[in-house]
Amino acid sequence: MLSEAISLPKPPRRRHLAQRLAQGLLRAIDRAQTAESLAAGDGLLQGLDPRIKLSGALALIVSAVLTPSLGVVAGLFALALLLAWCSRLLTAGVCQRLWLSVLLFSGTVALPALVVVPGRALWQLPLLGWTVSEPGLRSAALLIARAETSSTLALLLIASTPWTHVLKAMRCVGAPRVLVAILGMTHRYIFVLAQCAAQLFEARRSRIVAPMNGAQQRALATAAAGVVLSKAFWLANEVHLAMISRGYRGEVRLLDDFHTRARDWLALLAALSVPLLILWAER
Amino acid sequence: MHIPDGYLSPATCAAAYAITVPFWVVAFKRVERLLHTRMVPLLAVFSAFSFVIMMFNLPLPGGTTGHAVGVAVAAIVLGPSAAMVAISIALLIQAVFFGDGGITTYAANCFNMAVAGSLVAYWSYVLIAGKCALDSPRRVVAAAIAGYLALNVAALLTAIEFGVQPLFFHDAAGMPLYAPYPLSIALPAMMIGHLAIAGVAELVISGGLVAYLQRANPELLAGSMPSVTSARAAVVNSTRRLWCWLAGLMLLSPLGLIAAGTAWGEWGGWGADDFAGAQIRQQMLQASGGVAPPATVPSGLERLASVWRAPIPDYAPAFLHDLYVGYIVSAVMGAGLIVLLLLLIGKWVGRQSAEF
Amino acid sequence: MNDCVFDLSHVSFAYPQQPALDDLSLRIRRGERIALLGANGSGKSTLLRLLDALYFPCRGELRAFGEVISEAALADDEVNFAFRRRVGLVFQNPDVQLFNPTVFDELAFGPLQLGWSSEEILRRVEAMLARFAIGHLKHRAAHRLSGGEKKRVALASVLVIDPEVLLLDEPTAALDPQSQGEVVRFLSESRDTGRTIVTATHDLEIVYDIADFVYVLADGKVVGAGAPAEILADQALLRRTHLAHAHWHVAADGLAHAHVHAHRHQHHTPIDGDSSEK
Repeated sequence: MLSEAISLPKPPRRRHLAQRLAQGLLRAIDRAQTAESLAAGDGLLQGLDPRIKLSGALALIVSAVLTPSLGVVAGLFALALLLAWCSRLLTAGVCQRLWLSVLLFSGTVALPALVVVPGRALWQLPLLGWTVSEPGLRSAALLIARAETSSTLALLLIASTPWTHVLKAMRCVGAPRVLVAILGMTHRYIFVLAQCAAQLFEARRSRIVAPMNGAQQRALATAAAGVVLSKAFWLANEVHLAMISRGYRGEVRLLDDFHTRARDWLALLAALSVPLLILWAER
Repeated sequence: MHIPDGYLSPATCAAAYAITVPFWVVAFKRVERLLHTRMVPLLAVFSAFSFVIMMFNLPLPGGTTGHAVGVAVAAIVLGPSAAMVAISIALLIQAVFFGDGGITTYAANCFNMAVAGSLVAYWSYVLIAGKCALDSPRRVVAAAIAGYLALNVAALLTAIEFGVQPLFFHDAAGMPLYAPYPLSIALPAMMIGHLAIAGVAELVISGGLVAYLQRANPELLAGSMPSVTSARAAVVNSTRRLWCWLAGLMLLSPLGLIAAGTAWGEWGGWGADDFAGAQIRQQMLQASGGVAPPATVPSGLERLASVWRAPIPDYAPAFLHDLYVGYIVSAVMGAGLIVLLLLLIGKWVGRQSAEF
Repeated sequence: MNDCVFDLSHVSFAYPQQPALDDLSLRIRRGERIALLGANGSGKSTLLRLLDALYFPCRGELRAFGEVISEAALADDEVNFAFRRRVGLVFQNPDVQLFNPTVFDELAFGPLQLGWSSEEILRRVEAMLARFAIGHLKHRAAHRLSGGEKKRVALASVLVIDPEVLLLDEPTAALDPQSQGEVVRFLSESRDTGRTIVTATHDLEIVYDIADFVYVLADGKVVGAGAPAEILADQALLRRTHLAHAHWHVAADGLAHAHVHAHRHQHHTPIDGDSSEK
């Protein structure tokens, strides 16, 4: 640990910016497709009605944020783990990747709280002489546990439900039709624009050999953003015409076809009871 | 800065929803009326654009990287209402689909970036760009400043939301239940990172995109979008509304009072001890992505700090001992200074571009 | 004049920056299969959009089914739905044509706008999925389809409302030979269905299969009109309009269908074998 801390900073990576950006975009597309194929698999959550899953996930996330008790958050996390296991989501590695990135971010944010928050001193850090306080430790743990739990719950929803079903479920729980239509279309064009940008970077990379300085790299990224912006406006106009051509008059119409079964209602009841219990215990 | 779930208390989240929903409704109705059948595809594609832009990590001077939000470009090309909706949608997809930003904190994120960001970006762009020609370099500068300001206002709001958490939401023993840092830490930690890194990314993208549009699609800058045209027309007869806005924000400034012991006044004039304080230094280190702040206060900053302290010590003019009134007066003066600064920059850039 | 679908007299159209169509007059009758031939920028896509009432003439008059088509006329819901019900346009770019989250939503979009009942919509969509053999793609998102699949979904999304007139913009562009063959086969099979088909293309090789009559466009004007054999034999016209290069002489002898194909395969696509003409 210490040797790492005192070692010299690594030399900047030689990978070209264009390559890095292109790979980042392609990885995001790839990850989204993984989520889609997971959602199509079978398991406990995959078999539930999307509306129930959406309301259930919301209820559990709100619970994790509501409760002041670290134990309850830990319990919710265990529940999320159990659900992930029953839905065969643990094997795919998506959860592990998420936990790591959340831990890195929230961990960095929470770490100073150990010494910043005043309270009963637990122990002293050697060398620096800072004291780690008990409330500091607990509040840092609470922050990280909440962030991990709620992001895992959100992941469970999205990894067990195709995006289009999430949209329809949003429609059913009262989101305006036009919002749902826009969200569906946004998702579609994220892929189109991301692919356009990735191709642009790939093309640039094949033409440039010499390393670029910072200003050139910024110019490259800005130019790419410009091309994507122009493409976005062209698409917006063309898609508008394509919609008009098929009879669109400004009123969004959607087909809703969901069938709930007894087990769906059971799942919803179970999910909703958690925040209610917490509120009742808090009283 | 996307606030994840668990950082803000349920009460703060509920308040954020209560404040943001009216903005959404009004903006949505406006856009629907102005764009009619064009609204759905335009908002969808532009939200997708903003989403993709958030994936571009720009190399910045100093060896760090940062990504832009695209809020200034959205506000300039689409107008503030449509930008609000488009950025909110991009944030929603990020929260739900990519787990970036929380669901309970979604409204707070939207208020910071989409609502406040769009308004700040739009009005600072309009004020600085004035009526200059479409291909004038002044517009590039205006967009760059608009992007920088918008992102930093968003960061400031985020920092305030973080900073009030330990004040209100702690258990009986005083342990913070949500974001644990008081304003005195949250503000500098957030602002240094954004003033130095994320704001610069937005500045580069906003200026660069407007320069690109001047060459490639100048008609987009001409305000050909109906939502912008009507907003521009409104500039003439309802600058008054902007002033009302500012006045409202100033009246809200006693929020600063909440900071009680560790108020804004203190970080407004950073003391030498703050810079030496190891904890704060560590905060700054994290916020500025590993670039260590100097061990002593830079002499320039110290001089600036004393200049700032001189006319309004501790935000309260000597003749006004009532702290509340003092805050409002300082806020009015502060906002006035910002507007004056914007106008001066506008004038100066205008003269520069006229010489070309 | 009941059998006249489109009647254009002295139609001009200009974009804010540049003119696109200049004093164009032509007439399209019910059941005809028309090809609009022209190089890029000749105005053929613009003409299709006028025929689909997405753009409106700046000057001149466009009649569809005997009625004058104007922005004011189409502003009426009844008129609009009636027109959209009878005319369908397949855009060239699948990213534009396919804007819904899934294939199913794509096919259901048109019928939903026209206010059909859900049972009717489900029935029609299932029929189209079977007709184009895309049932297995029903819940697939558009970005996970191949080029050929996208084109089939695009065709199905327009044909689901069974329009009397089908307008196609470059239907074979950017497709692999097999998918091109499928599109061409579909269009040649439509000969006797009574459906009017207008195809904009610059692909001379498909003209015989997809059209009974050809208009050649250049710079927003009709510069040639006639049967496919006639037009393809006019080397000078084709070169003048940038549709053919010096070595292209498929139809130089104006011979029969089979011969043309044999000829073409020798010169252009020696490996695609039986893709397009069966």
